[in-house]
Amino acid sequence: MNAAPRSDLAVKLAGAAVYGMDLDLPGMLWAALVPAPVAHGRIRSVDLAPARALPGVVAVGAEDLASLLPRGGGDPDRPIFPTGEVAYRNQPLAAVAAPSLREARRAAAAVRVDVEPLPALIDIETAFPDWPDAHAPPSPYVIAHVHARHGDVAAAFDTADRVVEETYRTASVHQVALEPHACVATVTGDRWYVQTCTQTPFGVREDVATLLGLPEESVVVEGTWVGGGFGGKGSSLLEPFALLLSRASRRPVRLASDYRQEFELGRTTLPAVIRLATAVKDSHIVGRRVRLLLDVGSSLPGRDFATGYSIGFLLGPYRTSTFEVEGYGIRTNKPPFGPHRAPFAPQCAFALESHLDEVGRTVGLDPDAFRAAHLWREGDTTALGQRVGPFGLATALEQARALARRWRAAAAPGHGVGIGLGFWSTSTGAGGEVRLVLTPTVLRIVQAEREIGSGSVLRGLAAVAERVFALPPDRVRVEYANTAEAPFDSGVFGSRTLGALGRAIVEAGEKMLGTLAERLGAPGPVRLVVEGDELVVLSGSIRRPVRDLLNSEERTPGLVATGRHYAKSNTIDEQRVVTGTFYPYTDFTGAAHVAEVSVDRETGAVRVERYAAFQDAGTVVDLPTARAQIEGGIAMGLGIALTEEAVWSDDGRFQNAHLLDYRIPTLGEVPPPEVTFVEGFPGAGPFGAKGLGEPPIIPVPATIAAAVRAASGAHVTDLPISAERVARALKLL
Amino acid sequence: MPPFELVTPATVDEAIASLRAIAGSGPAVIAGGTDLLLDIDDGRTAPGRVVSLRRLPWRTLDWTDGALTVGSTLPLRSLEDDPDLPRRLPGLWQSVHAVGSVALRHRATLGGNLGRAAPASDLIPMLLALDAEVDLVGPDGSRRLSVDAFIRSSRRTTLAPGELIRSVRVPESRPSAFLWQRVRPANDISQIAVAVAFSPTRPGWSIAVGGMPPRPVLLTDVARRLGHGRPSEELLRDACDRASREVGLASDQRASEEYRRRLVGTLLGRAVRAVVASGEVPS
Repeated sequence: MNAAPRSDLAVKLAGAAVYGMDLDLPGMLWAALVPAPVAHGRIRSVDLAPARALPGVVAVGAEDLASLLPRGGGDPDRPIFPTGEVAYRNQPLAAVAAPSLREARRAAAAVRVDVEPLPALIDIETAFPDWPDAHAPPSPYVIAHVHARHGDVAAAFDTADRVVEETYRTASVHQVALEPHACVATVTGDRWYVQTCTQTPFGVREDVATLLGLPEESVVVEGTWVGGGFGGKGSSLLEPFALLLSRASRRPVRLASDYRQEFELGRTTLPAVIRLATAVKDSHIVGRRVRLLLDVGSSLPGRDFATGYSIGFLLGPYRTSTFEVEGYGIRTNKPPFGPHRAPFAPQCAFALESHLDEVGRTVGLDPDAFRAAHLWREGDTTALGQRVGPFGLATALEQARALARRWRAAAAPGHGVGIGLGFWSTSTGAGGEVRLVLTPTVLRIVQAEREIGSGSVLRGLAAVAERVFALPPDRVRVEYANTAEAPFDSGVFGSRTLGALGRAIVEAGEKMLGTLAERLGAPGPVRLVVEGDELVVLSGSIRRPVRDLLNSEERTPGLVATGRHYAKSNTIDEQRVVTGTFYPYTDFTGAAHVAEVSVDRETGAVRVERYAAFQDAGTVVDLPTARAQIEGGIAMGLGIALTEEAVWSDDGRFQNAHLLDYRIPTLGEVPPPEVTFVEGFPGAGPFGAKGLGEPPIIPVPATIAAAVRAASGAHVTDLPISAERVARALKLL
Repeated sequence: MPPFELVTPATVDEAIASLRAIAGSGPAVIAGGTDLLLDIDDGRTAPGRVVSLRRLPWRTLDWTDGALTVGSTLPLRSLEDDPDLPRRLPGLWQSVHAVGSVALRHRATLGGNLGRAAPASDLIPMLLALDAEVDLVGPDGSRRLSVDAFIRSSRRTTLAPGELIRSVRVPESRPSAFLWQRVRPANDISQIAVAVAFSPTRPGWSIAVGGMPPRPVLLTDVARRLGHGRPSEELLRDACDRASREVGLASDQRASEEYRRRLVGTLLGRAVRAVVASGEVPS
């Protein structure tokens, strides 16, 4: 285990890191978007003439695409500017650029927009009022439908000793990265170049090419430093508009959100209603029914994914052989649904864990023991027929229960201790590659991703290489290149960075060490050591400086080896699928959390007193970075649990699009957590590592709900668990 | 942020003159700017001229003549850090401590908080309960009036054109308490705030409630029912019920009306008990 400092810290502390927000190029224009004034409506006209009449203003709308784009546009299902109907409030109808931000905003306001308002659909339950009833007529707003089952569910429920049925509601949450979306586009000839703060440079390239109808090779995406992603910077948002304006103006064009726009245009996770029913016989779960009504906003791409991926989290990390799940993605007049750190898994875990807590209590069992009895072990089969690999959650739960017993024994009156569980599957995306370059003095890792703040790129990838080559941190450099120069990678998301790129480093490293062994003429494995400034290759008594092993073409840049990692395909049992697309999980990770909270019995106010996490981590590659992920995940999870909620008005307005009223936790609400890693259940990453970006956020709302119930008896079924909701559950109102 | 002319007068007379010069077209006065700048940034107000008070000699704090006098431009953090405040006016210390964050309190001022007259101000309820007064200075000289008379409604005061808040005078020493409830404890706006003070000279109770438009209010009738010393539990319960029934409240995205009523009763009971527990209230 390494404990090297992160190489980004000095740069950031000195203010030398250039984020998307900081870009300022000579001759650059500033851009603003023309927002739709209603959540739903028929577009009569968008008149750009008043904006164009202003000095220095360039404006682009739907009518200009034919002249600006080589093929006149891209994907007809995802037009850059809508021409028929407005799908959500603030949807961009046109874009303008001017010599200053003030002039750009004035020009955007000058555009004459004529939209005939139509009734907006905001609340998913009004779109599908009869939905929990299996015989409900289909809703025209359902744009994604997934359905799977296995076993004789009806018989299981008919013959059960007890059936517990509940409804949970979850809130819309936003990623709240400190840096809003920001980019600068510079189009010259057929090179569409954009600098942007993104989690997925190659994802933006693909998206921009699709939306604008360009060949991928002509789009070059240059990542900047990223002031936090959390899922919100995973595909293009502002880049196509900036590129269009740059093409039209022949100047670099900057487009960035202010924080209000970040809320209004960004990709929030939207509300859901979850219906859970569990049949119990002889203290064991014999049948499950799960129904999900998910608001997918105006999403088109990704709607099946949002619905089909989420629903597995409602079955949870529990043996479930007889079940039926059905999910509906409802189109509403809100912006497209967006992923938020472990998209929708914390909300699902909240509903499922709280429900199993209720089921355990109903049948008179300790809820923690009840869950332990049903938990997956290695070799089990998931509800959708996947085999469970090495999985440390049962061990994590054992340790969590031991701690909870100690905390309970010492808890003050009005305090309660609860446990919550969650699982995750490290995503591999579409794979990733790295290029290692060995010079006489350092090892360079060239790859596509920028550090987004978690440390997974600059520290995580460096730590893998340090371990493969047994090199000290000052001899390993993680370097970044744009999409024209770097090898392909899917992006920094899905807890995949260390897993996928780390494996690619291992592969490239082994190749490189093989080459060095060959050139050294060594009979066995070689290793690198530092002697003065030089790197020296050693095998037994044979030793030569790296410098002497490079041939003439390798003097610059050095000895190159590439490695790639593409996930093994993983399948589910299609026999269990009735309709829709479900997604296989690839690499199971689990976490058990413990919280001690106090609840004010007169006001319902909740205070988190203590918090602990037991994280199935496979192998920890870099302890400080791993710990930071767990601490950050818990802090974000406490927001979902207690205070965060985007409030949508009936006319589709994000009413609290401000950091005062959209309340992320402050340090005062986050007790320093105790973090324990459960190792020994290896994952698919390098040295058996498992991804840690998302797992730590998943159990948090469930854990808080359990602790609140233990402290006060309040069984809160809606997120966030506000004091007012607790007060209602305690019948104070 | 739209541009404005920033004026930084060096004397009180200059300040008054620079306000008068464009009276009517809405010059704004800035002290810490923690509230005004948000409004300008969000386009809720667009003053052509902003008069800064930072050069005026009003960053003062003074305990004399049985009162605390706080200069209107003293940062709240300096008030909070006064070593005597927690003992002599505990409720005022609690309300200052409740405002925003430490960073914000280094800029925000008592004068600014009063002048901006936000309905959810945490300071105004406590100043009301403590019978505080404001000293104003303007083109027609100086005047003193109660905070209750100074605050008119949401974002409205009785400040005349060209007039400035010079200082705030808080009679001491009064056992007092300030309690609040928020969605997020730190850096948030109170759903309900309750300020309670006991005046040993009159003698009697004062109660003020904040957290709802149009402005923080004194509950004079409820306070009178608590009597002239320590109330019985029965009397206190009755007062809490009455306060929670009678105070004008509504629902918004921070809390429902129903929940706010619950909070008024609960926090009032706790605040009165806290003041009694100070041992300074006669039986």
